[in-house]
Amino acid sequence: MAEEVKSIQLYEDVVGPAVLNQLRQLAGNLEGLKVIHVNSTKTGGGVAEILSWMIPFMRELGIDASWEVIGGNKPFFHTTKLFHNGLQGNQVNLAPHHIQAYEETNRQNADRLRDKLEDADIVFIHDPQPAMLLQLCPNRRGKWIWRCHIDASQPFRPVWKYLRPHFESYDASIFSMAEFTRALPHPQFLVAPSIDPLSLKNVDLPQSEIENTCRQFGLDPDKPILTQVSRFDRFKDPLGVIYGYRLIKKSCQAQLVLAGGGADDDPEGAEVLREVKEAAMDDPDIHILLLPPDAHRTINALQQASDIIIQKSTREGFGLTVTEGLWKGKPVIGGHVGGIILQVINHHTGFLVNSPEGMAQRIRYLFNHREIIDSMGEKGKEFVRENFLLTRHLREYLTLMVGLRRGFADRLIAAA
Amino acid sequence: MKDEVISKNSQENMVDVTPFAIKDCALIVRICDLLPAINLRELHERVANCPVDSLYHHFCETAIRPSFDDPEFHNDFARWARRALHDHVLAERLEILHPYSFPHMEELRKEILDIIADRLSEIHYIPWALHDQAFFFKQATTVVFDTNRIIETPEHLCDAVKEMSTSSLYYHFWEARRRTPEKIDDFSFWLKGWNDRGKPLIDAFSRIDFYFMSLKELQDKLCTVMEEVGKTWRKK
Repeated sequence: MAEEVKSIQLYEDVVGPAVLNQLRQLAGNLEGLKVIHVNSTKTGGGVAEILSWMIPFMRELGIDASWEVIGGNKPFFHTTKLFHNGLQGNQVNLAPHHIQAYEETNRQNADRLRDKLEDADIVFIHDPQPAMLLQLCPNRRGKWIWRCHIDASQPFRPVWKYLRPHFESYDASIFSMAEFTRALPHPQFLVAPSIDPLSLKNVDLPQSEIENTCRQFGLDPDKPILTQVSRFDRFKDPLGVIYGYRLIKKSCQAQLVLAGGGADDDPEGAEVLREVKEAAMDDPDIHILLLPPDAHRTINALQQASDIIIQKSTREGFGLTVTEGLWKGKPVIGGHVGGIILQVINHHTGFLVNSPEGMAQRIRYLFNHREIIDSMGEKGKEFVRENFLLTRHLREYLTLMVGLRRGFADRLIAAA
Repeated sequence: MKDEVISKNSQENMVDVTPFAIKDCALIVRICDLLPAINLRELHERVANCPVDSLYHHFCETAIRPSFDDPEFHNDFARWARRALHDHVLAERLEILHPYSFPHMEELRKEILDIIADRLSEIHYIPWALHDQAFFFKQATTVVFDTNRIIETPEHLCDAVKEMSTSSLYYHFWEARRRTPEKIDDFSFWLKGWNDRGKPLIDAFSRIDFYFMSLKELQDKLCTVMEEVGKTWRKK
């Protein structure tokens, strides 16, 4: 089911009028400004998800915002997948024909978009796919910002050596966390991702729908539910989660849900899924759910039905599934990695763990202190409300735009 | 009762002051143009060269960062010394630093450098952090928002503070010390215009050890102090 475009006004009930007032103050400086976001896909993935709400919100605030998607053929997307993996530190085989495919596709897109991009006041280029457009728009008059959604802290050197010159000429870049950044000769801003509290993934569901979903997947309403939502990927450590679950199973009656998708078209994902099924050994209390990519309401219902959310990753980007779990008012037991550290605060919103044993011990603790599950859940939800909702995300983009036009001093007065 | 007090005070002690405009703020954070530090010697070298705004960020803007009440550490250098370098002695020495007790951030820089240099001379190795626990130097721009709310008189200050967001409180009580010529909080600056009526509150505010409080604790403390002073107003 697709998300409908919503008015920013709808969020007043969630974040309060003061937050929307702040957005309007900032936007007052940017009225009529031509702002273009460029990425490589209209649907699927976190970037498209962000842009699908951010562009209408900016327009509602009086900014002339638009969204351009670059086209490309199979060799181009194969190359950009190599870039993606290489920037995240994987060794990849980058050959001259990959470079050729990348540069040729960027040239074709530049021919199509040049006039518009050169005329824009601010251009946001998302991830490496369209990064070369900047040097192909020599008469640009606006500020260009590279938004890196990837953990580029330890890239595979040949990939970084090729891409770095494409990033260097930008006026600024944005990363999700300091730990994801690389040295670049321009200001690098930190903007954490966010969730949409009114999206299908996060909106409050009627209890009947939650119960129906549980029934649909054969979950026992009388047993507590532990849920990890993630791709079947080794970095998400689903085998560790099963091992940890087995450690507590003897003393606590609970069921484990491992819900994810996308394994069919990912050879490694299919392999991990097979291993996970093998490890579960037909345990009726372990529910392995392979869900379609648009099963947002189902995931939402499973999270809302859970007692504890688990995200025991051994490597993680920001970890928006953690944010989603906290927003549902659930404590999260998460791996001590990446952006999970920013969200899971020990004894406040959940527990950070480094092993299946640690996970098991924290689950047992929470099951023996049920009142803490509720208080952590409440704290977690407020923590997300203040820090990880789309209104904060938009505020930081608007601030960045105002700052780029006025200059960044130690203080910036929002009112125009 | 309260209105009576206000009107009596207003008649007896007429002063010409403009209402207090309540602001709110948020930060936009960026990485400094410095490589991250991975050991104590690098930290020393980077502290010597980082912008003053970065010291301010790591010492003072920690208050407004997503976190929970009662943090164990109030500045990022102490936190890093403990969590990444596992040097408890250094962490304690850095933690006790009160940035607002220094006349200028440059003085604070000297003190941090001294503490690190002393520590390096005491130990026979250079403490280092794991690769993924490097110290990133950051700085921030404070974005200031109008709330369209004002405080008319000192008697209304307590209720206003109770309803303030913690970021508003940070702006008026912490950040103000960086901004006002006398390095005092905005409330005290405003209360000065109220002569005798403002003085008891100014004195009480100056005694609050705010740096080692969370913003929520500070909010409660300010309200308690104002309620106490309010009682003396009523007696008069």
